[in-house]
Amino acid sequence: MTRTATIFKKEFTDTIRDKRTLITMIVVPLAVIPLLIGGMAKLGQRMAARAEEEKSTIAFIGPEFAPGLYERIADDTLFVIASGIAEQDLDTLIRSDSLDGAIVVPGSFDDLLAADLQASLSIYFRSSNQLNVTERRLRDIINAYDDDIVAERIEARNLDAQIFDAIEIVRVDIASLQEVLGKTVGGFLPYLFILLAFTGAMYPGIDLGAGEKERGTLETILSSPANRLEIVLGKFLVVAVIGVSSALLSILGLYLGVRMTADIPQQILDVIWNILNLKVVVIIASLLFPLTAFFASVILGLSIHAKSFKEAQSTLTPLSIVVIVPVAIGLMPGIELSAVTALVPVLNVSLATKEVIAGTIQPLHLVLAYISLIALAGAGIAFCVHWFNREATLFRT
Amino acid sequence: MIKVAELSKHFPGTKKLRKELDPDVLVNGKVRAVDRISFECRPGRVFGLLGPNGAGKTTALRMIATMLKPTDGGFWVDGVDGVAEPQRVRERIGFLTGNTGLYDRLTATEMVKYFATLHGLDATQFEARRREVFQALDMDAFATRRIAQLSTGMRQKVSIARTIIHDPDVVVFDEPTSGLDVMTSRAIVDLIRSCRDQGKTVLFSTHLMGEVQLLCDDIAIIHRGRLFFNGTKGEFEAQMTQPSYEDEFIHLVGEA
Repeated sequence: MTRTATIFKKEFTDTIRDKRTLITMIVVPLAVIPLLIGGMAKLGQRMAARAEEEKSTIAFIGPEFAPGLYERIADDTLFVIASGIAEQDLDTLIRSDSLDGAIVVPGSFDDLLAADLQASLSIYFRSSNQLNVTERRLRDIINAYDDDIVAERIEARNLDAQIFDAIEIVRVDIASLQEVLGKTVGGFLPYLFILLAFTGAMYPGIDLGAGEKERGTLETILSSPANRLEIVLGKFLVVAVIGVSSALLSILGLYLGVRMTADIPQQILDVIWNILNLKVVVIIASLLFPLTAFFASVILGLSIHAKSFKEAQSTLTPLSIVVIVPVAIGLMPGIELSAVTALVPVLNVSLATKEVIAGTIQPLHLVLAYISLIALAGAGIAFCVHWFNREATLFRT
Repeated sequence: MIKVAELSKHFPGTKKLRKELDPDVLVNGKVRAVDRISFECRPGRVFGLLGPNGAGKTTALRMIATMLKPTDGGFWVDGVDGVAEPQRVRERIGFLTGNTGLYDRLTATEMVKYFATLHGLDATQFEARRREVFQALDMDAFATRRIAQLSTGMRQKVSIARTIIHDPDVVVFDEPTSGLDVMTSRAIVDLIRSCRDQGKTVLFSTHLMGEVQLLCDDIAIIHRGRLFFNGTKGEFEAQMTQPSYEDEFIHLVGEA
């Protein structure tokens, strides 16, 4: 066992002196993630703010048929009414962004309203437009106009408004903001740390397996008194530790990112801190260890089997996309942590994270997830040792 | 002391290999890389295993270094059975090849210390031995530099230091000078001589007759996995029918 410790110490020193490992392990989680979060938040806020400030340029066809509505829109500072536009050009103008939208009022509009009948008008818009602000603004203003007309009609007949509004719905949502955000953050978090645990472990894994073969140092270490189990365990531990570190640093990076992003409403911040509390972080971290152990054993096994650094890279890079699939499945509605899904690697971690954050995790499922991951990691290590004992694999060139 | 008895190694032959190789070295579709070789290397003497490329030298030495498991036969290093107790054999030998790699991101001292620790040396033992070895090889000037920054000659010295740091009684060198320049080869030649003078058992393989003539006390010639000469340098010279070592070697290999 002391030899495993010696090998671990040496491989660890060797690995963290490699710039490429340091970049995936430290720079990506601690610099790129906070910048991404901060940048995305800033960008999103700016775009929303700009869309709100920007005026909507619209055409009003037939203002003379609805002077009341026309007046309201013309008085609203959010609208600019373009003049001299023909109805048949609306399509082209909206499509080319010259107009944001239009209202077309038929000749009978005010007559129908005056006769207490229903009148119709059309609003033109392009829903593929960013945020679709113009349609919302037009509807708001028309709805308000509509409400006023209805109120006048009710009043003219001396009726109570309640007659037309028999049921009032009082919405009582018992989901806390934590639960609502939990689904979002709980969905995003596993992507982040599962992917980083894998990519973090990948590079050292390739380097310590195929890389060692390629550099000719494999013969050197094989001629030492260390046996093959000790060598594999030492390497495996380094790969796992680097993977876990990347993932934990990514959670830290997320924390820093949120911290450094100004203008997040206090209410949402409170919920985020509530989600990222010690208990949740500890449970997620405890899932991370066996998960990364499983990743490390698979990565190292394939790396030992590969002939060269390049071959290992081309086998493992697509695998980092495959790893994301169970995470995505875990985010689909209706898929929940059960005695069966708790046994599926990666999927179990993704589902458990969601439930831990929402506070609905069942201890039995958590235990099953641990057992499954530890068993798979054990099998993975056995498979590394098996390959490391095979002369045909070891001296494959 | 190394004793090798009827040692054989067969590899599963790939289609490509079967086509390329002499049908002579194929048995039931398997490649007979080493075929029942026996020899003995004694302490204080240099034993040269000589053969052309592909003769089975590396396979034989890798078996003795316990990297490959023999298909048949056995070997003993200082009385330890190499098949039954490979780890104890590795504790007793120093193994070096012409292209044994080093870890570029470690310093020379770290590299040597790593192997010393794997061999069970504690910090004090290592320091004492390190001083001795680094001085003998004139390595102090670059002891704390990363291996990536060292010249080929310096790297070879680190390899040598790594091989002998635990003061093994038996040293095995597989084509130790292959690909090296004259100066660096000289360091290896000096190492082999000093190991012999210290009473160690030295086994080395080469395809260079000059090295054999210069260094060996005992000689074995291997070709297509089989030994067809095994004796002292004197015995080799006595049976020579050709004017030089090289001619004799080519003659023997050609006849086989």
